[in-house]
Amino acid sequence: MLEKPLFDFQLYQAQFSAHIRNPTHNKKPPNVNSNRMAVYKKAVFNNIVESVSVCFPVCQAVIGKRAWQQLMREFVATYASSSPIFREIPQQFLLFLQPVARVPTYFKQLAHYEWVELAITLQQTEQVQLSEEMDLLNEKPTFAAAHMLLEYDYPVQQISAKFKPTQTQETNLLVFRDAEFQVKFIELNPITYRLLQIIKAQDLTGEQALMQIAHEIQQPDTAAIVEFGLSILTDLADKQAIIGSHA
Amino acid sequence: MSSLADINGVGLGLKRELTPQIQKRYLDPSIANINFVEIAPENWIGAGGKAQKDLAWFVERYPIACHGLCLSLGGIDPLNTDFLKQVKSFLSANAIPLYTEHLSYCTDFYHGKSGYLYDLLPIPFTEEAVKYVAGRIRQTQDILEQKIAIENASFYAAAPISSLSEIDFLNAVLQEADCWLHLDINNIYVNSVNFAKPHQNPAKIASNFLQQIPKERIVYSHIAGHYQESAHLLIDTHGKDVIDPVWDLLAEAYQLFGVFPTLLERDSNIPPLPILMQEVNKIATYQADYTAKVANKMAAAC
Repeated sequence: MLEKPLFDFQLYQAQFSAHIRNPTHNKKPPNVNSNRMAVYKKAVFNNIVESVSVCFPVCQAVIGKRAWQQLMREFVATYASSSPIFREIPQQFLLFLQPVARVPTYFKQLAHYEWVELAITLQQTEQVQLSEEMDLLNEKPTFAAAHMLLEYDYPVQQISAKFKPTQTQETNLLVFRDAEFQVKFIELNPITYRLLQIIKAQDLTGEQALMQIAHEIQQPDTAAIVEFGLSILTDLADKQAIIGSHA
Repeated sequence: MSSLADINGVGLGLKRELTPQIQKRYLDPSIANINFVEIAPENWIGAGGKAQKDLAWFVERYPIACHGLCLSLGGIDPLNTDFLKQVKSFLSANAIPLYTEHLSYCTDFYHGKSGYLYDLLPIPFTEEAVKYVAGRIRQTQDILEQKIAIENASFYAAAPISSLSEIDFLNAVLQEADCWLHLDINNIYVNSVNFAKPHQNPAKIASNFLQQIPKERIVYSHIAGHYQESAHLLIDTHGKDVIDPVWDLLAEAYQLFGVFPTLLERDSNIPPLPILMQEVNKIATYQADYTAKVANKMAAAC
C-alpha cells in the first residue's frame, strides 16, 4: 500500500490512468477536456497493442481480429504490468493470459511458443570454454549458448487459423540462436528430448547420458544406443544446436 | 571511457533501424557530425544477442547518453529502485556518463500493484507535486550516485487542479531537486500550440517559456518533429521533419544561452540515414553560425 494519504495530484493521476485503462468503467477526472483525454487513451492502448501484437502473429490469426482486440482491451484494463523493460511487454501479456478461462490451453501454449522466439533472440548468454576438438561421447556436449528445451501438450508449431488442435499431442522442441543470431526450432522425438534433458540437467558426457537412456528404456544393446545417439548428437551439431563439447 | 564532457556538439537518437547504417558508414565524412548517440535504457538493459553486440560496438566508438522512458518520476507507486539499480550497473558497465528522464509518469498503482502504462503521462502542476517529484529525483540521484537531468515533457491534457504554470513547475522541481535540465525544444513548441488561448501566438508563448529557462542547468537538448492532428493539437511523435518554428526556437536558445549539445530524435517513420543527416548537419550549422557570430563580435570588440 501507499505510505501516505494521497495528495490531490495523486488522486487526479489515479483517476486519469484508471480512465485510460478502462474508459467505459472509470470516469475521467472532472473538467478535463475529453478530446485531449482521448489522445492519451488512444496512445497508451495503441502502443501496448503494437508491442504485444508484433510478438504473436499466429495467435491473432487463430482467434481473429475482434477477439484479439478484446483480449488487448482486457489486458490494458486489468493487468498491472510489472516490468519497465519494453521487450518484456509480451511476457507480461503471457502472464496475464494464464488465468483467462475462456481461452483454450492450446492457445496459451501457442502464445508461449511465439514468445520463445523473442526470448531467445534477446537472451543474454555466458561463453563456455569449448575443447578444441569436439568429442560428443567422451565429453559433455555443449548447446548453443542461447537455447530452450520445450515441452508442449499440443503441436504448437503447426497451429494456424486452419489448424486448431482438438487433441493433445506431446510436442518437444529445441529452440536456439545460431552464430548469425538467427533463431531456429527443431522438433524432437521423445527419446532425443529425454537425452538432451539429461545432458542439460545432469552435466554428463554424451556416452554417460546415452547409457542412462539405454537403462531407462531397458535396452540391453547399449552399443546400438550409443551409435544411434552419436548420430543424433552429430546431426544437432551440424545444425549448430550443439556447438562443441567441454570436459 | 567517455565522460560528460564528451556529450557535445550534435547527437542522434539511436534506433535499431539506424544501427547498421551508422556501422556501415562509420568514419565516413558524411556522418562526421554525429558526435554522440542516445539510447533508451529500457530497450537495452538485459538484452543479449545481436543487440548486445551492437551496443558494444557503439560503446567503443561513440559517447552515449541514456534517456529513460519508464522511471516514472511522477508515479504514485513507489519508485522502482530495483530497476534503478539495473540502470546503475548498465551505465557503469557501458561507461555511459549521463542518465536523463522525463518530468512525467508512466505507472499507476493498480489493485495495490505498480502497473506500467508505457507512455508519458502529465503530472498536475501543484506545489505538492513539486515536492513529491523532487524527492523522487533526489532519491534517484542518491541511488545512482550521480546527477540526472529531467526533460520538460510534451502534454495534451491540462489538469484543472494545476496551480502553477508549466515553467514555474519545471523551475521549482529543478531547484528543489538540484538536478540538470534536458531541454526539449520541440516540446516547448508543442505545448505552446496545444495550450495557446485563441488570441495568443504560440511562437511568443514558446519564446517566453524559453527565456525563463535556467541556463546553468541545461545539460543537452532535443529537437524533433511532431504530428499536427489539428491547428491546435500537436502530437509529439518524433515521426516527421523538424518544422521551421522549432528551428527558430533552437536558434533563439543558442542566442540566449550559448551553444549546448543538441540531439535529433526520430522515433517513427525513420528516413534513410543520409536523409536524416540533413537535419543533423543543420543542427551543426546552427551551432557553427552562433559560434562564428560570437567570434566576430569578440573580434569587433578588440
